[in-house]
Amino acid sequence: MTTTAPNPAILAAPVQQGRSLWGDAFRRLRRDPAAVACFLVIGAYVALAVGAVYWYPDFLETQNYSERNLPPSADHWFGTDVFGRDVLAKTLLGARVSMTVGFMANAIAVPLGLALGVLGGYFGKWIDDLVVWLYTTLASIPGIILLIALKYAFQGIILFEGTFIELNLSGIHGLYIALGVLSWIGTCRIIRAETLKLKSLDYVTAARASGQGRVRILVRHIVPNLLHLAIINFTLGFVGAISAEVILSFLGLGVEVGTPSWGTMINAARLDLVVGRWWEAVAACAAMFVIVLALNIFGDRLRDALDPKLRI
Amino acid sequence: MGAYVIRRLVQAVFTIFGVMLVTFLLFRVVAGDIAGAHLGPKATEQQKREWLKKYGYDRPLLINRQPDTRWYDTQFAHYVSTTATFKTRSLINNEKLSDTILERAPYSLAITVPALALGWALAMVVSTLVAYYRASLIDHVGVFLAVLGMCVPYLAFIMGGQWLMFKVAPSMAYGLANPFNIFVPVVISVVAGLGGSVRFYRTVILDETTRDYVRTAQAKGVPLPSVMFKHILKNCMLPILTNLIMAIPFLIMGSLLLELFFGIPGLGDLLLSSITNRDEPIVSGLTFLTALIYVLGTLATDITYVIFDPRVELT
Repeated sequence: MTTTAPNPAILAAPVQQGRSLWGDAFRRLRRDPAAVACFLVIGAYVALAVGAVYWYPDFLETQNYSERNLPPSADHWFGTDVFGRDVLAKTLLGARVSMTVGFMANAIAVPLGLALGVLGGYFGKWIDDLVVWLYTTLASIPGIILLIALKYAFQGIILFEGTFIELNLSGIHGLYIALGVLSWIGTCRIIRAETLKLKSLDYVTAARASGQGRVRILVRHIVPNLLHLAIINFTLGFVGAISAEVILSFLGLGVEVGTPSWGTMINAARLDLVVGRWWEAVAACAAMFVIVLALNIFGDRLRDALDPKLRI
Repeated sequence: MGAYVIRRLVQAVFTIFGVMLVTFLLFRVVAGDIAGAHLGPKATEQQKREWLKKYGYDRPLLINRQPDTRWYDTQFAHYVSTTATFKTRSLINNEKLSDTILERAPYSLAITVPALALGWALAMVVSTLVAYYRASLIDHVGVFLAVLGMCVPYLAFIMGGQWLMFKVAPSMAYGLANPFNIFVPVVISVVAGLGGSVRFYRTVILDETTRDYVRTAQAKGVPLPSVMFKHILKNCMLPILTNLIMAIPFLIMGSLLLELFFGIPGLGDLLLSSITNRDEPIVSGLTFLTALIYVLGTLATDITYVIFDPRVELT
């Protein structure tokens, strides 16, 4: 009787590790120069937004009436505004408002859309009817009108006054909430459709056959397979939130009066273009253009990397 | 088919009811001290009470449980009945909403209808062109420009356009002294929307190009332009027209910023001024109007789908 010794060559060969969805997506993004460039741009905006608070802590008090409306120069790269304040500082502080609003609005909207979409898709029946009714209703009212109306209704309302979680709904906190509670619809639709699809797959049936409870299946087997969609929507949702903030601030319904933001800059400089003072409006529009472009391209690449079904 | 249409109609009624409920909650419940906002900070409690009584804001919100009254004698019932018939009156000048809409809608439509038609035609031409020459230089440049165009802020298009008009023909940069001035916002609207539309239409056309029937047609020797125009574009029209119909109600209010910049007295302008003046009935009425058009638009699209695309399942 002979025993065949295991082939040493096979033993020596490294074990081929399968790559997870996330690892695979990361590899794809890292090898994609456009995605890396856009990610760096987004990172730079975040860094500048954080840095701006430390570099210009008392920006609002820097009025200098001998330096009003100066065109761009070596001292003031982006020129000065009507109060003699540096437009570069204003633009960077505006980036801070935009990035925070983009983040906070999606931090509310995406989990909300995920939760409602999963609940509706998984439990069906009246819960699903309710979720679908809720998002069809909200989707029937043009978003910008609803936003303006909500922000208007919020005026003068301060929640939890005097506590450390004080929320001034007239200003930027109201923006987070208004944008958050109104922009979950897209995420919810996609998540609900995907949940309906996952629910009928074999592995879920197998999990049920092995005696796992409904909640356990939901948390352990369905939600993890939806997270990539939530991440994609988070990135793409940034663009909508930033644009909405600029339009609302432009209309005077966004951030508190006096807070530097791209929308208030555009509003302040709106009539200046005609007399040749272009720098403030151009700075705000250009800053917005670059971040929206980076977010759009990065979001698209992220979707391609994370959603293998879209690959050909 | 008939059952499907009836089911969609019932759903539409529920959606409209939802819109009413949301706007009612938003404008009547969340909005706070509306009497104070209209009478000014010096108003006494007595004056505020009288004001609320005059406009019916002192009634119960949803259900009237007081004795000797009808249970439906409430703010919500009143709100639904006046808003749905556009009979509601402005708190500022007491004008009936239906009259105001008839007076102002032509200005909004004068911007949005040409903008929609021109935008669609132009985007169709450009996207067919880039899709026809796919993966070539024309395609790459086209897509690149479309993405850039999508990312330019809408406000930048408006401000840039207005500035250009000031330089070229100052009399056309504001107001409607000359009726031709309306074409300035139309052109701006078309240019601002072009990038997004071209990108979407191109994806739809390319999706269709990779299908089997296109390969079969080519294998049979049908020349490429003929495949493009006779087969592909025809099959692309459904998603593209859906996209277009969905855009209609948003365009009615979407010209809000254009009307503001160019001083055009349309519905968007009315909505903005009503919001600043806290003219609650007008804001609710206009919101209801756009929602109504949207719901009817989606209903029409869904039914069109069933008629023109036999593959669509009735659910």
